[in-house]
Amino acid sequence: MFASKNLRVTFAFVLIGLVSFYFADLEIISLEAANLSQDFFLSIFSLGFNDYHLLLEAFLTTLSIAILAIFFSAFFGAIFSLFFGSLLIRISLAFTRAIHELFWALIFLQIFGLNTLTALLAIVIPYSATLAKVYAEILEEHDTFGDTLRGRDRLSYFIYTKIPDALPHLISYTRYRFECALRSTAILGFVGITTLGYYLSSSFMQGLYHEVWLILILFYILIASIKYWFNKYTSVILVIISFFYLDDFSGFNMANLKRFFTQDIIPYPIKNNLALQSTANWFENIFTNEVLPGITNTIVLTQLSLLLTALMALALFPLISSKFSNKPTRISTHIFLVVMRSTPEYILAFIFLQLYGPSMLPAALALMLHNGSIISHLIGHDTDAMKLRIDTTNKKTELYFYEVLPRVYGQFLAFLFYRWEIIMRESAILGVLGIMTLGFYIDSAIEDFRLDKMFLLLIVTALLNIFIDVISRTARAYLRVNKNVSTCST
Amino acid sequence: MRFIIAFSLKNESISYNKEVILHSLSFDIKRGEKVALLGKSGSGKSTLIKKLYELQKENSSYIPQELGLVENLSVYNNIYIAKLDEFSTMHNLINLVKPNAKDVNDVVDIVDKLDLEDKMFEKVNSLSGGQKQRTAIARAVYANKSILLADEPISALDEHLSAKTISTLKENFETIVCALHDVELATKYFDRVIGLKDSEVIIDKKCTELSKKDIQKLYYVCE
Repeated sequence: MFASKNLRVTFAFVLIGLVSFYFADLEIISLEAANLSQDFFLSIFSLGFNDYHLLLEAFLTTLSIAILAIFFSAFFGAIFSLFFGSLLIRISLAFTRAIHELFWALIFLQIFGLNTLTALLAIVIPYSATLAKVYAEILEEHDTFGDTLRGRDRLSYFIYTKIPDALPHLISYTRYRFECALRSTAILGFVGITTLGYYLSSSFMQGLYHEVWLILILFYILIASIKYWFNKYTSVILVIISFFYLDDFSGFNMANLKRFFTQDIIPYPIKNNLALQSTANWFENIFTNEVLPGITNTIVLTQLSLLLTALMALALFPLISSKFSNKPTRISTHIFLVVMRSTPEYILAFIFLQLYGPSMLPAALALMLHNGSIISHLIGHDTDAMKLRIDTTNKKTELYFYEVLPRVYGQFLAFLFYRWEIIMRESAILGVLGIMTLGFYIDSAIEDFRLDKMFLLLIVTALLNIFIDVISRTARAYLRVNKNVSTCST
Repeated sequence: MRFIIAFSLKNESISYNKEVILHSLSFDIKRGEKVALLGKSGSGKSTLIKKLYELQKENSSYIPQELGLVENLSVYNNIYIAKLDEFSTMHNLINLVKPNAKDVNDVVDIVDKLDLEDKMFEKVNSLSGGQKQRTAIARAVYANKSILLADEPISALDEHLSAKTISTLKENFETIVCALHDVELATKYFDRVIGLKDSEVIIDKKCTELSKKDIQKLYYVCE
């Protein structure tokens, strides 16, 4: 249909997606799913909260953690971006990025306990790594002078040749990243930090759905209004206020940190100097019982969700495109997409899993809704700018398949590939909610306080993520679609 | 008289983006006439061609300067697009997956004359500028209309191909209005030339009636 390469790649992914469907556990376990979801969705009409003081506090905590996290991440990201030429730095940052912020939170919970420091580190570490990468890419793109033209004063040349062009892009990406940081901070509540996610999950567990809705709606408003309250005039003040609001940054414990690295995560047989055979057994055991099923399930959920995401994006983008839809349709679709995009997939998955039980179907739907919304939005936006001939057909189906889809298809695949790695990372973390992906085994290892196993599984997760990233990059190079996109991961 | 007139403009001003591009134009184009529109870029040629298309949508094939091809589709499908409105949606969708033999045959006849037969099933984005222009021309021919309105359709073709392409177009269209910037091509292959400069018609004559001075004027128009 659209030339060989795109078609071949599409075919491969559809095939893998269908195979995943076959292997996925899609059973709906919850017997009361229908009743529960009716209760849940009807509660939107009776918004309320038991203790508004608590709610305000949760919002302020979420905000100030996110603000400080982006401040530190931008600082460290900028420093690391200068050393991005070093392979060692690149590899370390790739590893750091590949581990989800919730996993980082789980790690620091073991070391420093439940406090602001843990929350900040959990966000700052992966975010610095991401920002370093993106900053480095931006700086490379805006290179006005060739190497030969550079003088000896490297700093002056850096400031004169790179910064002026790159600065607006650096700032705009950082601002975008702040929105992601808000979402990530909210989610930290699911591991016990008193941000929005904490109250959201506890209200949900108690069946106080009207509270869940209120938190969600306020959260959407907060995200939608970012540009009004977090901009060049306010950011410095907000950072200072956040410092004072959070106030207590203690919790750093050198002894614990040392113990974590020198004892906790050292594989049990090595720590106890066991013989080679029992060491091999230890690894083999984990490999067959945890690593293998964990990886399989993570990949199955990832590929299934990727396919669903693709289908949703293809079906919905015409609804926000002026080429296909009228204004009321576009506006209502837009609102739907914004809401779905602003809801972290973790929260969507949490709600679906609570309603329908721990199956891959609700998880895949959550991933589809979030990622599909992002891609529909981007593609729909692209089609608006598309200039068609004045003698183009008036038939919508033909317009879609002959004029619009072939023009956006490469871009569509590129967006999907960018989301692929993110979907994989989310698939792994959703294990914490009870689906048997890698996160499930990591979470269980922590519960059993077998941190050596946890660490091993985390490395596996990171490697899997890097592996997907490499395939994605290869595929994009093969298809020659490499236009960069700002999403909450790259 | 009326049925032999393809276009009739009387004191017409044409604007684009709220800016008047052409002031009070008046001329008739008879059916069967092959008219070359000369002028440099920005003289209003494209705007005039578009205006003419608006006037005779049903009977005209239009080739915009930017061609408007779908890069990711094959040459064949880009040509087929001309008839999307004539076939059923089902027919059109099946064609994307497996082209109908009869439709392919119809298209082959056209691409043959334009030296594109070996590119039929290649993606447009792999073609050269000249090949893309010929694809757009083939699409216009395939539409099977009586009038052709073309905006610099052969600017990327060499002399030989230009001549060949123009004769193919003359065989297939009763009436042609074609924007060009090559005075020689215009006077050699067309019946009539209209020269536009600074939003006004400077010259409008049959090619057989052109004096040396007129030719000079045409070169001046295209400078």
